[in-house]
Parts: sequence; C-alpha cells; structure tokens
Amino acid sequence: MNIPLNIDWQQILLHMMNFAILAGGLYFLLYKPVKDFMEKRAAYYQELSDTAKKRISEADELKAQYEEQITKAREEIEKEKAEAIKENEELARQQIADAKKQAERIIAAARAEAERDNEKALHDSQEAMKELVAAATEKLLMKNDNAAIDMFLNSVERRGKDAEQG
Amino acid sequence: MKNKKGILLWLFLVALLLVLALLCGAPSEEESVQEAMRDAVLHDVNSISLFGIKEVNPGLVSAMCVSLVLLIGAALIRILVIPRFSLVPGKLQILLEELVGMFDRMARESSPHRNRALGLYIFAAGTYIFSSTLFELFGFQAITTEGVSVALPAPLSDVNAAIAMGCMSYLFIVFGGVVQNGITGIGRALKEFSLPISMSFRLFGALLSGLLVTELVYFYIQLSFVLPVIVGVMFTLLHALIQSYVLTMLTALYYGEVTEPKKG
Repeated sequence: MNIPLNIDWQQILLHMMNFAILAGGLYFLLYKPVKDFMEKRAAYYQELSDTAKKRISEADELKAQYEEQITKAREEIEKEKAEAIKENEELARQQIADAKKQAERIIAAARAEAERDNEKALHDSQEAMKELVAAATEKLLMKNDNAAIDMFLNSVERRGKDAEQG
Repeated sequence: MKNKKGILLWLFLVALLLVLALLCGAPSEEESVQEAMRDAVLHDVNSISLFGIKEVNPGLVSAMCVSLVLLIGAALIRILVIPRFSLVPGKLQILLEELVGMFDRMARESSPHRNRALGLYIFAAGTYIFSSTLFELFGFQAITTEGVSVALPAPLSDVNAAIAMGCMSYLFIVFGGVVQNGITGIGRALKEFSLPISMSFRLFGALLSGLLVTELVYFYIQLSFVLPVIVGVMFTLLHALIQSYVLTMLTALYYGEVTEPKKG
C-alpha cells in the first residue's frame, strides 16, 4: 500500500509503544515519587498551619475569657470599694456621734463636779467664817470687856431693829 | 491494588502496541526520492536496521534513544536524588518539583474534575517532545542499511512520530471522555475529529521546518560559521519549548472539555 508522505503504520505503532514505555517509566521513576513528596510536604505544612490556627483560636478564646474575668473582677472591686467607702463613712459618722455624746457627758459631769466643788468650797468657807467668828467672840468674852460687849450688843440690836423697820 | 491495576494496564498497552506493530508489516512499496530535502521530509532513503528485525526511519531510532536516555536519567534521579529530598529544597529538587508541579497545575487548571492521568500524560508528552527536539543538537551518528553515516534527527521531524503523538493525544482525550461521561464523552471528543490531524501536522510541520532550515544552513560551507548557533537556538530550543507547551496545553484543554461533567 502506497501511503503519501511515507507514512508507515508499523512505525507509528512502534512510536506509540516507545512513548507508552517512556510514559510508564517516567510515572513510576519520576512523576509519582516527586508528586508524592510534594503532597506529603503540603500535608505537613497544612497540618502545621491547622495546628497554628487551632492554637491561635484557643489563645483568643482564653484571652476573651481572661478579659471577661478581669472585667468582672474590676466591677467587683469597684463595688466592694464603694461599699467599703460607705461603711467607713457610716462608721466615721457613728464614731463622731459617739464622741460628741461622750464629750457632752464629760462636760456635764465636769460641770456637776465643778458645782459640787463650788458649793463645798462655799460651805467650807462659811463654816470657817463661823468658826472664826465664834473664836473671835470667845476671845472677846474672855477679856471681860463689857463695854465692848455692850457696844457690840447694842450695835447688833440696832441693826436688827433697822432691819425690821427697812 | 490501584497501582497493580495501572501496571497491568500499562503492560497490556505496551504488549498490544508491539503486537500491532509486528502484525501491521512494512509498506509493500517505497517511494523513490531524488532530492536531499525530500529525504529530510520523507526519511525513505536512509533507513536503519532495528535490531536486525526491520528497517526503520532514523526518527524511530532517535525516539528510542531519547526514551532510553530519559528512563536512565529518571532511574538515576529516583535512586540518587529523590531519597535525599528535604523540606528545604536544593536547586535540583526545585527544578524537579517545578517540572512536575507545572504539568500537574496545568492538568488541574484545565481539567478540574478529572486530572490524575492527564497530569501524567502531559508530563510524559512534554518531557518527550522537549528532550527529543533537543536531541538533534547532539548530532549522534548512526549507520544506515547502505553503510552511510547519518546524524540522528529529532524524532518528531519524522511524520510517523508526529502522527503517533497526535493520535495518542487524541485517543487519550477520547478515553478520558468515555471514562468520565460515557457516550456523551465520545460525542464531545468526536466533535473535534480534526484534532489528531491538526496536532500531528502541527508538530511535524514545526519540527520539519526547523530541520529543513538547519539542513539548508549546513549545506553551504559559507553559512556554517556562527549562523548555526543562532539557527540552532531559534529552531531547536524555541521549538522544543513552544511545541512542548502547545501540545500539552491543547491536550489538557480538550481533555478538560470532554471530561466536564454533564449539566443537570
């Protein structure tokens, strides 16, 4: 059979066979091992990436939790602080009131004692005066000075009368 | 289990292609060519004996040499380099990972629903086209059946290799469509019936044009200084890159189209 361009089907099939052998050989010797390695490496880096993402996600969750806890703690601290301030103010008010009462009590007691002392001093001075007068009278009497006694008695009598008239 | 199934399928495919190649037989009549350019196009004057079994075009021998070199290289990398891969890659590791990753990404982007086999196919096809196009730069010599020494050409400058590559790509696309969508997949793939021809002849034309220009440049001694470096770079390195990219991208795109799940 005369085919144009010297086409030879037998040689075409031999070329195909040659290429089939080459393709198979290249697949097992080069393409598959290299591709397997690339896929393994991609899987390895993908795993690393996934792990990193997971850890970042966990860290974010923890951070959110901690921030929430910190916020709650701050709120609680503020609340307790306000309560403590209120309690302190109440306590201070109470102490001031107690101190005032105590001061009033002390002042009252001091006044009463001062009055008592004053009365006692007055009484004591009166008693002393009486004793002095009695002593002076006794001395005068002892000297038997009748004139003086008469004068004194007259004078007392006169004063008594004046007092009765006035 | 899945690996065993894949290996069995692969061995079956290799055996089937070998049997078909042996059964098919050589063409009964050969064309006669007179000109050097026509020989470069048709490869029917200079034939090389394939292990004494059959006379084949130098392109087939080139293809086998490229495959052998690639498989030995891959085996060495598998034994010496891949076990030393680390999480922080070295230069060679980066190169290998980028090579595999580039085709894998292309497969995933073009065919999001089904791309495991596609990644492998375009990796093998891309590597094969790139390496086999660069192969002609080395100028390895082979002895023809007539006892003449010829430089082994780029395999894909042989129309048989280009047709094989184009048809395999198309069959792969059809296979993907059938596995994913059944009859609908076949319908979608058959809709692009011109694909194997366009893929084959795009490859053949691109590689052949480079070969012809290179042949012309080398034909004249005056042009054999400095210019071959530029021509070599333009028609070999750029072709290697462009044709690898074009075929793998087209295969990935059409594969993605036929394996797209049915709507509704």
